[in-house]
Amino acid sequence: MTTSVDQVMVSVTEGSLPGVLDDLREAGLVVDTVLEALGVVTGTAEVRVIPSLLSVPGVIDVERQWRVQLPPY
Amino acid sequence: MTEPAEVETTGRFLVLLQEDAIEEGLAELGAIAGFDPNTGELGSDTLQVFPELGVAVVSGDPNLLAELNGAAERPGPVQIVEPERVVHVFDAAPAEEEVEPAADESVLTWGLQAVGADVSTATGKGVKLAVLDTGWEKNHPDFTGRAITTKSFITGEDVQDGHGHGTHCVGTSAGPRKPATAPGYGVAHEAEIFAGKVLSNAGSGSDGGILAGIDWAVANGCAVISMSLGADVPAGTPYSQIYETVAQRAMAKGTLIIAAAGNASQRPARVAPVGHPARCPSIIAVAAIDVNRAIASFSSGTADKIGQIDLAGPGVDVYSSFKLPEKYRRLRGTSMATPHVSGVAVLIAEKTGARGYELWARLASTALRLPLPSTDVGGGLVQAP
Repeated sequence: MTTSVDQVMVSVTEGSLPGVLDDLREAGLVVDTVLEALGVVTGTAEVRVIPSLLSVPGVIDVERQWRVQLPPY
Repeated sequence: MTEPAEVETTGRFLVLLQEDAIEEGLAELGAIAGFDPNTGELGSDTLQVFPELGVAVVSGDPNLLAELNGAAERPGPVQIVEPERVVHVFDAAPAEEEVEPAADESVLTWGLQAVGADVSTATGKGVKLAVLDTGWEKNHPDFTGRAITTKSFITGEDVQDGHGHGTHCVGTSAGPRKPATAPGYGVAHEAEIFAGKVLSNAGSGSDGGILAGIDWAVANGCAVISMSLGADVPAGTPYSQIYETVAQRAMAKGTLIIAAAGNASQRPARVAPVGHPARCPSIIAVAAIDVNRAIASFSSGTADKIGQIDLAGPGVDVYSSFKLPEKYRRLRGTSMATPHVSGVAVLIAEKTGARGYELWARLASTALRLPLPSTDVGGGLVQAP
């Protein structure tokens, strides 16, 4: 069985950082960056664990990251 | 019937694509012409696609023709290439003289004049502006002595701009008014610049880097974040809840986010929806107008109830700084309109002390209304205080 891994971003309630990080890791998030001013954590996770990330107390939303591309000059 | 000795051509090429392989054909054209047909900054003007017909019109270097012909001869989705011809109307009255008021750019660019930066006493002094883009040309002579804080959020690349787009956007929002060679091209010419590299030298990036750049700008107390970037989305796509939360939090901390609406329209035939992340309600979505204050053909617009245009800025034939050795370039795109709006926001922030939602309100309420649909230009053309 193949596992699909995706870059994700997670918004959390104000004041829940850094405590929420352990729970996010336990739920399957490989933390890349903690953005404290924004209350956002970015990282990678298997697509199938996204519902578990969403159910972590303090988590507001989990979304897969978009990619943007400019043309070359 | 006689053939004319010489057929007048436009310098553009018509490309016939295999009917059941339009996408593949466009991908091949993109590879040949050196741009991404899905997201090209110049997409609407370099490549025009008529999907119902399976035809694309490509403009570009004459050398392209040889390569395109090569593609047509190979088996594959590109079938026929021919120069686009000029077609004349038979026995019609001569076309009316198009009165194009050529902009006088001997002192300042047309864009600075259009937003009234030329008659404003504000300079942006003491206000921090973040430009999140492809980085910054650190050897540009026009910025010697300016306070510029930089940071790269791209793994393996320093902030040096290997693309040019970022240097252009920094120039429009905060470049000089009196460079060694005219015209001056910067709106908030004394703003304190934070140049964050969130797009690689190849022009690509992802939300992770962009959010890291926003976090950096907020933590540094930037009043305005200028983001000439985004991804086109189909109409009806929900906006990102996370960016919306981020924009609201940034706003509460005094940082206003201004983003390009996108360049996916092919007006008048098609108006493309506002892209991600500009389609978030708490991010200002910027459309592009030209020197005649007409909507730019490529400018994405209000095509659904989710992503709505908020304001407009000059975004066609925009002269600004570029990576070396070129130093300067004229570009078009909502990417170029966005730093005009960001620069004006910085001037208002300086003059009034407003931040966050109050700054948004002042920016929007002072915009010059245009006789164009609000779905195209929102509240109109921003004006310096």
